Amino acid sequence: MKPVFLPRSKEELWDLLSRYPDAMVYAGGTDLLVRLRKGILDPKVLVCLERIDSLKSVEDQGDRFFVGACATHARLLAEPVIGRLYPVLFQALSQLGSPHIRNMGTIGGNIVTASPAGDTLPPLYVLSARVLISGREESREVPIKDFIIGPGRTGLRSGEIIEGVRIEKMQPYNLAVFEKIGQRKALSISIVSLAALLKISESGIVEKARFAWGSVGPTIVVSPEAESFLVGKRLEEGYLKEAATFARRAASPIDDVRASASYRRLVAGNLLFRLEGHLKENHLKAEQPDLPWKDQA
Amino acid sequence: MSYSMKKISLEIGKSIPRFDAFAKVTGKEKYASDFWSPDMLWAGVKRAGVPHARIRGIKTDEAISIPGVLSVLTSRDVKGTNRQGVVRKDQPVLADDRVRHCGDPVALVVAKDRETLAMALSAIELDLEPLQAVFDPEKALEQGAPLVHERNLERNLLLKGSLETGKGEAAFEECDETVEAEFRLPHQEHAYLETEAGWAILRDGVLEITASTQSPFRDRYEMAEAIGFDMHRVRIIAPYCGGAFGGKDGITVQSLLGLAALNNPGRPVKMWWSREESILASAKRHPARLYYKLGAKKDGAFHALSARVYFDTGPYDHLGGAVMALGLEHSGGPYRIPNANLKAWSVFTNNPIGGPFRGFGVTQANAAMEQMVDLMAKRVGISPLDIRLKNALRRGDRNPAGVTLTGSTGIGECLKKIPASRLWQERETWKKAAPLYKKRGAGLASAMQGMGYGPLIPDTANAKIELNRDGRFRVFCGVVDMGQGNASTYLQIAGEILNQDMSGVELVLPDTARTLPSGSSSASRTTFTYGNALIKASKILKQRLLEKAADLLMAKGSEEMDIVPGCVRHMPSGKEMPLSALAGILSEAERTSVARYRTPSAKESPASDPLLTLHGIPHIIFSYAAHAAFVEIDTLTGRIEVKCYLAITDCGRILNPQAFEQQIHGGIAQGLGYALCEELKVDHGMILTPDLGTYIIPTSMDLPDMESSAVELHEENGPFGLKGAGEIAVNGPYPAVANAIADACGIRILEGPMTAERVLGALNALQRGEAQ
Repeated sequence: MKPVFLPRSKEELWDLLSRYPDAMVYAGGTDLLVRLRKGILDPKVLVCLERIDSLKSVEDQGDRFFVGACATHARLLAEPVIGRLYPVLFQALSQLGSPHIRNMGTIGGNIVTASPAGDTLPPLYVLSARVLISGREESREVPIKDFIIGPGRTGLRSGEIIEGVRIEKMQPYNLAVFEKIGQRKALSISIVSLAALLKISESGIVEKARFAWGSVGPTIVVSPEAESFLVGKRLEEGYLKEAATFARRAASPIDDVRASASYRRLVAGNLLFRLEGHLKENHLKAEQPDLPWKDQA
Repeated sequence: MSYSMKKISLEIGKSIPRFDAFAKVTGKEKYASDFWSPDMLWAGVKRAGVPHARIRGIKTDEAISIPGVLSVLTSRDVKGTNRQGVVRKDQPVLADDRVRHCGDPVALVVAKDRETLAMALSAIELDLEPLQAVFDPEKALEQGAPLVHERNLERNLLLKGSLETGKGEAAFEECDETVEAEFRLPHQEHAYLETEAGWAILRDGVLEITASTQSPFRDRYEMAEAIGFDMHRVRIIAPYCGGAFGGKDGITVQSLLGLAALNNPGRPVKMWWSREESILASAKRHPARLYYKLGAKKDGAFHALSARVYFDTGPYDHLGGAVMALGLEHSGGPYRIPNANLKAWSVFTNNPIGGPFRGFGVTQANAAMEQMVDLMAKRVGISPLDIRLKNALRRGDRNPAGVTLTGSTGIGECLKKIPASRLWQERETWKKAAPLYKKRGAGLASAMQGMGYGPLIPDTANAKIELNRDGRFRVFCGVVDMGQGNASTYLQIAGEILNQDMSGVELVLPDTARTLPSGSSSASRTTFTYGNALIKASKILKQRLLEKAADLLMAKGSEEMDIVPGCVRHMPSGKEMPLSALAGILSEAERTSVARYRTPSAKESPASDPLLTLHGIPHIIFSYAAHAAFVEIDTLTGRIEVKCYLAITDCGRILNPQAFEQQIHGGIAQGLGYALCEELKVDHGMILTPDLGTYIIPTSMDLPDMESSAVELHEENGPFGLKGAGEIAVNGPYPAVANAIADACGIRILEGPMTAERVLGALNALQRGEAQ
């Protein structure tokens, strides 16, 4: 038996963390509990964040939205603003785990676990989310791509927690796609995933593109080459083929029990071909169709 | 039972909710793993962790000195033969001189709680001298291969079998067309919800074991002999299993629990394997390598078949010989093939244990044979449906094993119903409507599954039914319901004959002290055999009740009487005698009826080898099915999605359409898992997919809409015309999906399961123009 603390405020939390500097902090526990059971981790003290209300909120902060680290995936799916403003994140959340995992797991947990297979990470990368980190004394904000430094490794320092993420409301894209390839359709760890945000002109020309891949490198993989290559072009097989080559070059996957590195690399590129179909099937989804702040921006 | 269910009338052919459903979904039904008591001890096992080694020593002193540890036992503490097994007894309760696979148990610990148990198990030190191991079933048969059992007669061979009909191999010279292919199939994990579990107690000299098992009566003597205890002082109780699928057909926890209880008299001892332990130690569907050659005449009439099938049985028999024999017997499928040369081997290796699994060797053989049929259809240029219809067995034909089919033979009827389905009629339009980067295909498969133990092992059941003093009928069920719903069907059978509704019948689940031996819950024989015995017993009791009531009501004779729910009625006068009143007058012996049934076996003997006959060849009653899978392949990722599935089954008359449909749906789901994603990855005997996070079973999201129907031919020997439905459906999905993939994009995945990665690899190879 080990003590589990359930602080109800950040003040209580800071006290606990200074009293037990080796404590392991968690929220939903969907990653941690598996490792505890396997005996990979054996912390002396556990501190659970799920009772701290301020960490669970989703707040309008003017030109940005704040999403609390302890908001569960299910909660975010039920939050209309997520589906409306960030469909790429919404799609990823809806494919994450299963209903019971989504009821427990949190977005902050997904970030701090820093698995290259974390389903919310590619969307957060393409949305240029910023991670809000707090300690007792100070808070700081770091772009997610700088916060995550390796598999399971982040810039979180001792005594700090993730408070949440901030995402710009203004997302100038009209095509949002998240696709995950796993070994089955639910309860599945991604073999490859792709989050894509594009702005396509009325005549079908790519004006902006953001891509991020999961599970094809030690952290989320991006390819500025593929993004800039596609700008000014149509989503057609010939161009996508070249963009796919850039993507495969950016990937540095490994072999594991789920798939080989070569399969991952191949599919990382192949997923770009799907964009053409998404466009044709009229999946154009304005990220901000009729929201009041659109004009102000 | 919920109130609303009580008045449900029990009639044969009616769709009736399962009797056990309410208790199960509300958690009232107690499984073997549900036992809990404050003075309960926990037993657990230290396992080898290496595939092959000599045991030099087992250091237990540290473990035994931990407070709260009651016993640490090794093979030296086993007083009996220390050998278990159904046919060949070669599996130790606790390993003595050697370990032969990673999951072999080496020491047994009994402790006051789970934490202490875990501590003690990790404190045991094994001194193991690694031995050369063998992992390839074909190499294991070669000269010089390391031996799994040093004293085995023929290197690593457990059993081989050969069946030859007509001119055998020579008939290929007479064929116009020949197709050949090789297939590899992986282990499949049963993955039942309830892992292996049970509890035991030694009290008043009786060893009582409650276990999740398919075979309580056989367990009793197998376990008693292995641990050296008087079988007559052993009682086995078998609650509903939380799934079994063949994986609990044989000893799992029973002997270990017996041993633990004998060493801790008067204390209940529980054992419950974790999922990881279950995957490590339990038997699985045998991996198979299949080499097939099929020959036909120009018109597509099958003429010759050659099959060589290697089953990897792991280190122990565990019915591996019988699985091989059934696979061999079914290796030609439900077709007329006048000349056949069929061979199979069951081979010892240091891989995980192979054992019984729904389909029992047929699933592997059918996966290969049904793909051969499609290959031949393509070669001779007729449709997959036409070639099946042309060659389908009819009653009176000899099957590829050479056995004359004298019973109902509905494969042709099943196949003829395929074109009646809208899915099938509209498949070409559906295929053409495939979205960008997707390809669609439809694939067929036939299937057959023999029923029962075969000619030599008596396939018998003993039914007992009693009229209680409260006027309800109690069915003593001696054969396990592992989730199939057979126990509900027994109540339906008794209710039909004795004209009772659900409130008038009740059930006693298998218990060697209360119910009668009725064989294992296996081989698609459970309802067939026990149902027939129960029909007899119910009829005898009914006649006795009618006669007794006629006497009491001064009627002319029993022909004037009938049973209605709750009472016996004198029809001419309308006078009634409540069943409870009648029960009060009758002695216990008069209120009870017992009957025995033995399933008929074939009169022909196609196998010259008496060992094959012992292992079950041949069967005489078969269920049949025709399946169609409609799949969509994503050419960007190789991912396969089964969009729709059609199953038409001949398993005789359907007693309960709801129970039948559940069996078929479950079989299809398990078969699709085998086809698409379930792969136990094993490297040098070590399992690389040790949990359900890495061993991938399908979720409800991965399964298609399924359409199931039955042709309902009457099987003259079956209870109300029924044949077994438990296994047949698992044999169709693998080849139906494989054939659908070939239909969609011209590739064949020769190694299972047909994962996205394998499909994409084959698609790319095709694009590069590499030979398939």
